Amino acid sequence: MVPGAFVRVLFPTREKPRQPGLLHIGYMLVVTATEAMVAYTTSQPWPAAVPLPAGARVFSLDEALQLNQSRAFLLRLDVLAMLPLTLTWFPDLNRGANGVIAVAPAPLQAELAKFATNLARRRRELVAMRGP
Amino acid sequence: MKTDTLTRPVTHRGTTAAHRQPPKVAITLRLDADRARRLQAIAEAENRSLTNYVETALLRELALREEAERVITMYVAPGTSPSIRPEDVIRADGETDEDYAARQALAVELWSIPDNA
Repeated sequence: MVPGAFVRVLFPTREKPRQPGLLHIGYMLVVTATEAMVAYTTSQPWPAAVPLPAGARVFSLDEALQLNQSRAFLLRLDVLAMLPLTLTWFPDLNRGANGVIAVAPAPLQAELAKFATNLARRRRELVAMRGP
Repeated sequence: MKTDTLTRPVTHRGTTAAHRQPPKVAITLRLDADRARRLQAIAEAENRSLTNYVETALLRELALREEAERVITMYVAPGTSPSIRPEDVIRADGETDEDYAARQALAVELWSIPDNA
């Protein structure tokens, strides 16, 4: 499994946060030999009246097509899951492509890492100001 | 010193169960007299009771704390590592030294966020 991959993952849900959830495409932000930090994606349209979350990155249909996805989608760098690299969470792990839909090109990976870094910095500042 | 009862038990006559708010709990707050007077003056200027003013201020504080915690929602699967070493982060194809170092730092930062889902 490689960093920067968009991969099929049973992303946990708010209702059952410690269990494999619904099948989604996740973005592999950080990968180790045994674990991954995965960001949530959804192709559900965001409600027009609701401001986008600070950690949301919109991928247009054109961008989605370049990443082997057929619909525009939202990548949520503010919704992350720390998951072991096992079949429990990644059901296609033992198949040919390991469930990888596409791998983001290096510039996009760098952009997303920078985005996540800024988000983490904002969180740290708020925690420092308000307490954990 | 001044004592002010902030909240009192609330009854819900004439309301259905679906509309009932969770019962409130009365607490006693002790403040310096000067501070109590200042808060009372602010509450009066805002045309609200001292109890309501203090409750609103506390709710605002709670919301800020929640925002701090929720800037990033973190789901942590059972059995994952509590921390990460930078050298454990797998390098991406074509990743520059600078980008890799930034992502290693990001990984350490993200691993420090507790499960808050």
